[in-house]
Amino acid sequence: MELLAQLAPKTFWNAQNGSGELFIKIILGLLVSTGIVVALFKTPNQLRRWVITAVTFFSGLFYVLFWIYPTPINRQPDEAPRNVLEGFSFWLSDAQPVVADLTNIIAAFLIGLGIYSLLRVHLGRIGKQQRDWQFSVVLIAGMVIMVIFGYVDWYMRLDPANAKMAGSGYVGWTFWQFGRDLLFNGLLQNMDAGMFSIVAFYILSAAYRAFRARSVEATILLVTALIVMLSLMGLIEYFWAQGVDGMHLSNNFKLDNVARWLRANVQTPAIRGIDFGVGIGLLSMGVRLWLNLEKTGGSN
Amino acid sequence: MAITDPAANKSLGEKLQSVPKPVLYLVLFMLAAIPLFFPVKLPNKPIDASVEMFTNVMALPEGSTVLVESDWTNSTRGESMGEMEALLRILMRKKVKFVVYTIADPQAPQVSRDTIRKIADEEAKAGRYRYKPFEDYLVLGYYPNGEGTASAINNKFVSIVSGKKDWPENSAPRDVSLSPVLKGIKSVADFKYLIVVTASSTTNTVLERITKVPMMFMVTGVMVPETTTYYASGQIKGFCGGVKGVYDLETLMENGLNVEGPNKIVSEKSTEVIPGFPGMQNTGKGMAYYPSLHFALFLLILAVVTGNVGMFLAKRKGA
Repeated sequence: MELLAQLAPKTFWNAQNGSGELFIKIILGLLVSTGIVVALFKTPNQLRRWVITAVTFFSGLFYVLFWIYPTPINRQPDEAPRNVLEGFSFWLSDAQPVVADLTNIIAAFLIGLGIYSLLRVHLGRIGKQQRDWQFSVVLIAGMVIMVIFGYVDWYMRLDPANAKMAGSGYVGWTFWQFGRDLLFNGLLQNMDAGMFSIVAFYILSAAYRAFRARSVEATILLVTALIVMLSLMGLIEYFWAQGVDGMHLSNNFKLDNVARWLRANVQTPAIRGIDFGVGIGLLSMGVRLWLNLEKTGGSN
Repeated sequence: MAITDPAANKSLGEKLQSVPKPVLYLVLFMLAAIPLFFPVKLPNKPIDASVEMFTNVMALPEGSTVLVESDWTNSTRGESMGEMEALLRILMRKKVKFVVYTIADPQAPQVSRDTIRKIADEEAKAGRYRYKPFEDYLVLGYYPNGEGTASAINNKFVSIVSGKKDWPENSAPRDVSLSPVLKGIKSVADFKYLIVVTASSTTNTVLERITKVPMMFMVTGVMVPETTTYYASGQIKGFCGGVKGVYDLETLMENGLNVEGPNKIVSEKSTEVIPGFPGMQNTGKGMAYYPSLHFALFLLILAVVTGNVGMFLAKRKGA
C-alpha cells in the first residue's frame, strides 16, 4: 500500500526513532554542544564577539540565500543538477529542512534555559526566605509535580501493554493518568482561561474612563468603533435592517453594509499602512542584527 | 464640624463620569454570565469571510486531506475551541482526513487531541462514524521554531513528519509515515487547504512562508482587523473571527446557504445552494457565548456613551 508517498532518505542527519543510533547521536550532540559552550566561556571577550558575529552572519546568510536565490521548479526526486548554479539551488533546498530541525532543537533548548532561570531565581528566594517566598515554593512544587505526572503518563503510554490508556474515556487509566488529567485539564487549563477572561473587565473599565470625544479625531474614532461594535450585535443589526429594508438608496445604510464599508475603506488601508511601516522597521532591525550593527540590548 | 459626603456635591455630569469600578465589574459579570444559563438564538447575518470559509470547507471531497495548524490553548477557548469544534464537525461529517501540527505553544497538541476526541465521541453518540486517531487524523505535535518549520513545510513537507510518532487507537505509538492519512501526500500542495486555528501571530509566520497550498484562518476577535487585510487581498480563502465567526459557522451549518425556508441565509459571496447539516448537533460554543458577547458589547457601548454624556454635561456646567 502506498502510504506516505515520499519518505525522507536516510542521511547522516537522521536515525530511526527510538533506535540506539539515535540515542548515541543525541549524547554525542549534547557533548559537542556542551564543549562549544564551555569553549565559548573560556574564549577571551574580544574573540568571543567575533565568533558570535560570524555565527550570526552565516546563519542569517543561509536564509537570505534561501529566499533570494532562484528555487528549483517542479524538481523530481532523482533529478540531478545540470550545472553549478542549479546545484547550489538544489543544495539550498535540501539543506533547509536540516537547518529547520537544528533551529527547532535550539529553540527547544530555550525551554531548558527557562527552567534553569526559574529555578535559580525561585530557589534563591526560598533559600534566603525573601518576601513572598511561599509563592516560590508553590511555583516550584507545581512545576515538579506537573513534570513527574506528565512524564510518567507519557512513559506508561509508550508500553504496548498500556495501549488502552491512549483511547477515549478513562479506560485503563491509573493514578498517574487521573493525576495528569486533574493537573493539566482540571487546573492548569482552567486557570489559563480564567486569567485571560479577566482582560474583559479591564477593557470595559479602560473604555469607560478613556474613550472620550475630546477632539474631532477622537470623535471619528469613537463613532466608527460604535458602528463596528453595533454591527457585531445580531439583534441590533436585524432591527436596523428591518427599518431600511426595501429602499434602494437606504440599503447602503444597513448596519452590516456601513460596517463592511468601514472595514474595506478605512480599517484595511490603515492597517496595511501600519503593517508596511512595521515590516520596513523589522527589515532594518533584521539587517542590523545580521550584520552585527545593533549594539543595544546585548550583555556587552 | 459637619462631615459632608463628597458624592453629594457632585453634579450629574461628574456622577456619570465616575461610576465605581466594582459596579461596572458586577454588571459585566452578570451580563456575561446570566445568558450562559438561558441560551437564546439571536438573529445573525454571517459575514462574507465566514460564508466563503463555510463554502470552501463544505466543497471538500470525501477522502481528501487538509492540514490544520492548531496554535491555541485554553486561554482563548471561548473563541478558539468553538472554531476548532465547528471545523471538526464539518470535516468529520464530510469524511475529510486531517493532519494537525503546532508551532505556537507546547500545550496546544494535547488541547487539540482532547477537542478532536470530544467531537469524535459526540459524532459516534449520534450514530455517525467515529474518527479514529492514526486512521483518520494525525497529531504531529509541537515544533518550537515556527519560522523554520513553516519554511520546511513549504519546501519539503516530508521532512517535518519524518521520525514523528502518533498513537493509533488502543495501540502503542507508531511512525506517522505508516498512517493512511498521509497516503499520496508528496508535498504540502497535496493538501486541499491549510487551516490555521490560532490566537497569536502565527498567521503571519505561515503567510510569509507557505505558498503552495491555499489557506483559511480561524482567529480570535481581536485579530479580525489584521486578518481582514489578508482576506481583502485574496491571500486567504476565508476566515472565521472570534465568537461572531463561530456563530456564523454554526448558523450556516444549521440553516445552510441559499436554502429556501424561514431562516434563509443569502450572501453576495455565493449563489450556490449548500444544505448544511439540518437536524444534527450544529450549535456549540458560538450559540452559547454569542448572547454573552452581545450583552457585553451592549454594556461597553453604554459605558462609553455614559462617560461621554457625563463629560459634555460637566463641560456645559463649567462653561
